[in-house]
This record gives sequence, C-alpha cells and structure tokens, in this order.
Amino acid sequence: MNRRSILKGTALLGAAALLGSRSAAADDAVTVGVSGPLTGPNAQYGAQWKASFDLAIEQIAAAGGPAIKYVFEDSQSDPRQSVTVAQKFVNDPSIVMEIGDFSSTASMAASPIYQRAKLVQFGMTNSHPDFTKGGDYMWSSSITQAEEQPNLADYAVNGLGLKKLAVLHLNTDWGTTAKNFFVKAAQDKGAEVVATEGFLPNERDFRSTLVRIRDANPTGLVLEAYYGDAAVIARQVRDLGLKLPIAAVGSVYSPKLLELGGDAVNGIYTQSNFFPDDPRPEVQAFVKAFQAKYNRAPDGFNATAYDTMNLFAALVKQFGATREGIHEGLAKIKDVPSVVYGTITFDPATRRVAGAHYERLEVKDDKFVLWDGSKPAT
Amino acid sequence: MHGGVLGPWLDYTVNGLIIGNIYALLAVGLALIFGVANLINFAHGSVYTVGAYIGWASITYLHTPLPITLLLVLVGCALLGVAVERVGLRALHGRSRIAPLLATIGISLVLDQVVQLVCSPDPRALPSQLPDLRFHIGGGTIGTLDLLIAAIGLTSAAALYVFLRFSKLGWAVRATAQDQDAARQMGVDTDRVNMTVFAIASALGGISGVLVGMYYNSIDPNMSFDATLKGVVAMMIGGLGNVPGAIGGGLLLGLTESYGIALFGNSYRNLFAFALLILILVAAPNGLFTRRRQLPPEPLTGTFIARSRPVRVPGWAVGLLIVVAGLLPLLPVPYLLQTLTNALLTGLLALSLTLVAGTVGQVSLGHAALLAIGGYASGLLALDFGLPVDLTVLLAGFVTAALGTLLVYPALRMHGHYVSIATLGIGEIVALVILNWTGLTHGAMGLTGLPPPEILGHELTSVGALYWLALALVVVMGLLQTRLLSSHLGRAWRAIREDEVAARAYGVEANRYKALAFGFGGFGAGVSGAVTAHFYSYLDYSTFNAQLSILALTMVILGGLGNVLGAVLGSVVLVSLPEAFRVLADYRMLIYGLVLLLLIRFRPQGLLGTV
Repeated sequence: MNRRSILKGTALLGAAALLGSRSAAADDAVTVGVSGPLTGPNAQYGAQWKASFDLAIEQIAAAGGPAIKYVFEDSQSDPRQSVTVAQKFVNDPSIVMEIGDFSSTASMAASPIYQRAKLVQFGMTNSHPDFTKGGDYMWSSSITQAEEQPNLADYAVNGLGLKKLAVLHLNTDWGTTAKNFFVKAAQDKGAEVVATEGFLPNERDFRSTLVRIRDANPTGLVLEAYYGDAAVIARQVRDLGLKLPIAAVGSVYSPKLLELGGDAVNGIYTQSNFFPDDPRPEVQAFVKAFQAKYNRAPDGFNATAYDTMNLFAALVKQFGATREGIHEGLAKIKDVPSVVYGTITFDPATRRVAGAHYERLEVKDDKFVLWDGSKPAT
Repeated sequence: MHGGVLGPWLDYTVNGLIIGNIYALLAVGLALIFGVANLINFAHGSVYTVGAYIGWASITYLHTPLPITLLLVLVGCALLGVAVERVGLRALHGRSRIAPLLATIGISLVLDQVVQLVCSPDPRALPSQLPDLRFHIGGGTIGTLDLLIAAIGLTSAAALYVFLRFSKLGWAVRATAQDQDAARQMGVDTDRVNMTVFAIASALGGISGVLVGMYYNSIDPNMSFDATLKGVVAMMIGGLGNVPGAIGGGLLLGLTESYGIALFGNSYRNLFAFALLILILVAAPNGLFTRRRQLPPEPLTGTFIARSRPVRVPGWAVGLLIVVAGLLPLLPVPYLLQTLTNALLTGLLALSLTLVAGTVGQVSLGHAALLAIGGYASGLLALDFGLPVDLTVLLAGFVTAALGTLLVYPALRMHGHYVSIATLGIGEIVALVILNWTGLTHGAMGLTGLPPPEILGHELTSVGALYWLALALVVVMGLLQTRLLSSHLGRAWRAIREDEVAARAYGVEANRYKALAFGFGGFGAGVSGAVTAHFYSYLDYSTFNAQLSILALTMVILGGLGNVLGAVLGSVVLVSLPEAFRVLADYRMLIYGLVLLLLIRFRPQGLLGTV
C-alpha cells in the first residue's frame, strides 16, 4: 500500500512537472530532489533509501518540523541518466537540495551541472576521494576510507593479532581506495600484506583466487566488499577447507550477510558505524521505528538515508528553505543528531564529516554480536 | 596440508572444472537454440534467472523437496520458452536475421524487469536441498551440488545428442536447422520444431539457474547478463550450435580462467576468457570440436539484414529539421535540451555503428569501446599534457580511428554472428585493459576533473552551447556519411554486405573496405566519447559499457540499418523514451522493453527502412 501511494505521488509529481505546472507543490512542503537507482543493477539501494526517507519524513512531520517531500528520479546509477535528472532538478526552483547519485560514475558526471546551477549535491554514499573536489556545492556524509581503513587495520592487526594479511577487494573506485588505505595503515602498524586481489562487481567464483591467496600463506584474510560478495566469498573459503580468520570492512554489515552466507559467515570480524543493538538512544529509536514500519531490521544504507533526511530537515529549519540557505547552512550547522556519527558537523574545507562511530563486531551463532576481545585461534 | 607434486595446480584444475561445469550447462541451451534457429538467444540468461526464482518460490512457499523443485522449474521454464518463441519470435520468421536477435534482447529486458518488480532487486538466499557431503580433492573439497551440476550437464548433452541423431523429432530439428524451407516442403512442422527446441533449451536454462543459485546460495535479478555472456563465449569455443562441443567449450573456458588467475591474479580472469574467445574465432572459427571440413553453420551469402525500401525524406525537410533543432536553445527548455544533447552524442555512436553494421554488414556488439578509447585519449591528453580540449577531442577521433581499426582487424575476415561475438569480446577486452592498466588510465579510480569542452578557448558549459556542439557534430558527420554512401566507396561497402564472395570476384578488396568503414566510424565514435567525457568531467571503465553497445545497436536497427537519418532518429527515440516514461517510476524500463518489442514486431526493417 505504501509503495503504491509513493508511486502515485511520484506519478502525479511527474505529470505536474511535464505539464510545467506547480500545482503539485501547492502545499508548502519543502522539496528535495533524489537521483538514484530504482531500476537496474543497483535498484535495491534506491529501495532502501526510499524506505528510510519515508520514515524520516513521517517522524519529522509528527514532531512539528518542516513538511518535506522528495522527488525521486530513477537514474539506474547511469551517468547518461543522472545528467538529465540533474538538469531537471536545477531547473525546478522548488527543489532546494539534491541527494545522490549512488555510484561515483553517475554522481560525478552530474556534479558540473549542480555546481554551475549552485544547487547542493549531497552524495551520501560517495566515498570517492575526489567527489567533494568537484566544487563547493558537493557535500558528502559518506564515511571516507581514509578514516575507516586505519580503524579496520587496527582491529585486524592489533585487536585480532593478524600480522600476515591477504586483501581481497572490489575493483571499483571505492574498493581500490579502501585497499590502498588499508594496506598503508596495516604496514604502518607492523603487519605484512602478502597478497592483494581485485574482483569485478558481478563475480561469483572465487575458488581459484582463494587458492592463490592460500599459497601466499597469510594468517588472515581482509575483505573490502559488500555483503553479497562477502557471503559468497566466505562460503567458498569454507568449501576450500581454509581456516583463515576473516576481517571485513563495515559495508558487509547487513542482515543479508547472515541470510546469504549461512554457517559460512560465522567467525567473520567486522566493524560498523551502525549496529542495531548499539545502546545509544538515537540508534534504538531508529531501529524500533524502522522495525515497526517495515517489519525488518534496518542496515547501514537505511541508517545513512535516514540521517540525511534528518540533516535536511535541520538545515531547512535553521537556515531556511532556499538553495543558498542550504549551501551556507552546511558549513555552519553543528551537532545534528545522527545514527551513524552520533552527531554530524561538517569540515567546511573538505565538505565531509569526520569522527564516525565504530563498533567492533563478530558473527557468532548466526548473529552479529559485539566482539568479546578474544583473538581467533589459528 | 595441501601438498603433492602437483600442489596447487591440481586445485586450480579442479576449480576450473567446477566453474566450467556451470558455463557448460548454460552453453548447451544456447547451442541448441542456435543450432535450430540460427539465433544467439540473449534472453537465455533471463530464463536462467526466472528458473532460479521459480525454484526459490517453490522452496520458500511450497516447501518442495529437490526433485519436485526441479520439476516445477523444468515445467515453468519450458512454458516460458514456448511463450518466448510463440509470442516474441515466430512472427519475425523470414523477415531478417537481425530482428529475432534484437527481439531476444528486448525479451531479456522485459523478463529481468518483471523478476525485479515481483521479487525485489535485493539478493535472496537459495539454500541447497542436497545433503552437504564434501569430498576432499587436493587441498580443497567438492560438494554434492558440484557433482549434480556436472551430471546434469553431461546427461543433458548426451541425451540431446541421442535425441538429435536417432529420434524422428530430432531429425526434424536437424532438418529445420539446415534449411527451414526445404524442411517445410518435406512436411516438417517447423513451428512445432522451433517450439520444442525453445522448450527444451529453456527448461535446461531454468535448471541451471536454480542449481547455480543453490551453489552460491544467492540469486538476484541481475545475474542474467553475465550468465548470457559467459554462456555465449563457452558456446563459441565449442562451435556455434554444437551441443556436445558446448560442454567442452564450457570446461575449457573454466580452466583458462582458473589458470589465468593462477598466473596473473584475479583481475585478469576475464581478460583471459575473452582473449581465448578471440583466439578461437581467428584460429578455428567453427569451434574446437567441429570437424574441420564441415561447412560453417552460417550461410556464406546473404546477410543479416532485412531488405526494404527506405522512407524517402526530402532534402528540404531535413534542412528544416536542422534549422528547427538549431533554434531550440532559444526556448527555455533546458531539460529537453539536456535529453537531446545526450541523444545526439549517442547519435554519433549510432551513426558510426549504422555504417559498420548497416552499410557494411559487420554487426558490432562492442561499439561502446570506441567511446571509451576516445574518452580516455582526449582526457589523458588534456590532463597529462595540458592540451586545449578542442584539439584533444580532434586527436581522440584519430586515435580511436587508428586503434579501433587495429583492434577489430582480426574480426575483418569473419561473417555474421562471428563478427558480433568477436566485437563483443574485443569490447570487453578494452574495458578490462582500461581497468587494469592503472599506470596509464588510473584504473578503477577513473579520470576526474576533466576540463569542459571548449572551442578556440571558449569553454562550453551552458546546456545550450553543449547542445549546439552536439548538433553541429551530428550534422557534419551525418552529411559526410551521406556523401560517402553515394560515392563509389558506399557502393563497394554495400556490395560487401550483399554478397562478399561476389564483391571479391569483382575485385573489391573486402578487408580494406571494411577497415575503412571502421576507421571512419571510429573517428565519429571517438569524438562522441571525448565530448561526452569532458561534459561529464569524470570517466571510468564502466562509463561506456557493454549495455551501451547493445543500446546503440538497438538504435541503429530501430532507425533502419545503414540509414543515416534513421540512426539519429533511433537514438533520439531510445534516449527520450525512458525520460518520457519517468512518470511510471519503477515500471519505466519494463514499458520501454515492451515498446521495443512492439517496434521490432511491427517494423523489423526499422522506422525509416534499410538503405
């Protein structure tokens, strides 16, 4: 029912946009444009965003905050479509901020259009180090790998005591950046990296790659991957009879990892900025509300999208519902409550947020639990 | 622990055979359909995905045991295959060979979208229903599922071989494959034969989907494209339409990938796979497992292309259209302009492809690689040498013309489907080289901060200026191409398309003329890629991907093969349609696929007709 009403809403908005009328915007809701994948290979992430946006907007309205609505345009995370979406948004004066796109390719292709039109492009998943260098209208709350990887390296090397590491990474801008920062941090902490292997987003078969890794004799395997890949890799590690402890970047944290990986993911060590059992009150409030509305546990993508909509509400409240207000507000706003960061404050020089929260986790008995501090037996 | 004299090589061999098994199962279905319908079924991967989801649904909701699950998948996918043949393909019989190929692409789009809408795009777990016994081989283990996949692959290939060779219906299938008209004259109900073949092949595809899904315990709606790609490569290695050969092709592909990983690492696996493909196509185009003297399964004369009378568009109408298009930026319609700019830039690619595929008859499935070469050439020249962008765009055109012709050189002496598959492989190789040659191309990080397009020092940043640039490029390249087509060069190109043997007999040096076409087409595509890259300011190996190659081919066929105006029209229609369907939100790609199918059904010669 919910999905259908969104669809209707979008259809109406779209029709209104086509007719060039502003009647749909007659109610004085503040509009944010969202460019992201609703169809195509990354469609699940767009669906996750929507779920969190709807929840946040409901809660903000209930709390008396500004009435917000979003126009979600499907880009399939394809640069050819994200640039037309960008052109559409910058010419719609009711849109005061833009969120997205999902992939770097799609987001950075659209950046020049947003920059020239002076409309803030808020890339909540854009960890590419050059994304915010596109101009002073590019802002991001994505966790940078420069920050996350030293944390992971500390967990693997000092926490888990793994001194000879092999790294298996997604061969994309995100995965490569992650690998480079990890290798450097791990070496600084005195560990040796004996192998690094990249894989393509659709690859499923890792058996031969794992044999290659095995023969480099590491004492631990580090995954820079998303949950779907990590589950498949963990199963093949088991199939090959390898007993390597696995440490993985925070993006494997998702209930889906457990579903897809089954027994094989038990014993994976990871860290997350968002952990539903985290006792912090803002996390618990979010998890409860999400569970009540959708009857499933939220993951990191949900948390990020939820944070972003709340940040937008705070910006509108404090700095007004204008493009320039939002742009100036991002540099000034302080300590917005956040599920991922605790509180969000931007560094105006890098236009990014620092100081994400990290919980060290492990998978035990088919559940994510806080790491108990014990080292893996090898 | 993992010792032995063979050491890791035993493990690499076992692993190669395990993944090869999966490729083989896919290739058998593709080979069967090709053997009869002379058609590379691009919807095969989608049927495989549907099979996986039928299996998932029956386990999740009906709690069926494995044999019943497989039976349901078998029946469901066989029915789907029948529907695909009856609804999607039968009406296209005898029109041209390119129309069914395009129809399978459309069907694949529709099926993938339906799966995604019904089952959500999130990956789902598909737990194996077999007891998980594991057997130790070398340093690793193999499971019951691996053995079942191998058994089904081998049994089905053997059963099909016997069926084709010794049963009456099998004879009918082979007769239909050799000559549809003659078979019909001898009383073979060719429609029924085609339907049977699609049912068998699709059932097999569905079974592979559910088994592979169980093997990885993970299924998602996007698993189809890669499945088709690897299945097609495996089939080509075994020989087009050669069912037992497909098994050998699959295993050989798996082994090559595995040894490639062993020697150079995982990033090079697909590079090895596609290099093997090109090698086979050049050295043994009938596949490794076909007798040398056997005739190739393609007719030697005739073409892919539907004959038709092109729609005559008078010169003044084209002039008027250009003037109206040129005046458009004076209106306050930036969103429309942006959409049209994209359409025109893609239109340059379509112009290039319509020359190569339509006029010369070399249907390329890797044309987006030319955009990538152009984009990288221009981007690197601008970033590393600080050259002005107007110069780098021009240079990129020449670099692409030269490099593109060089790359496609091995494919020049091939015909029909072989060219398509070879160019598909070359396209993938270009993308993989860009990804792996980090020193030159910055690898996965891509090129960032590209300066905007400029002319004589004036940066073109407004949407109107970019639109004018794209329009001017399309008009210039379009007129040039029209001029070439009416020269003796154009006649020679068309002669090669119509009958290469006859053209050679008249002294037309086919390879040189083909190379000329790729050179001219490469220039246009390179310029298009370069302008697009500067306009985006960012470029990585996936900006111009295989899906874009297929989209470009769709545009060209939609407009009418070889038709200059048609290519531009096709790209305007296909870029605008998804934009026009935005109001349909999640359903827009589904509607797009359906519209595409209807267009192919009722206008297989394209909107403006073949020239």
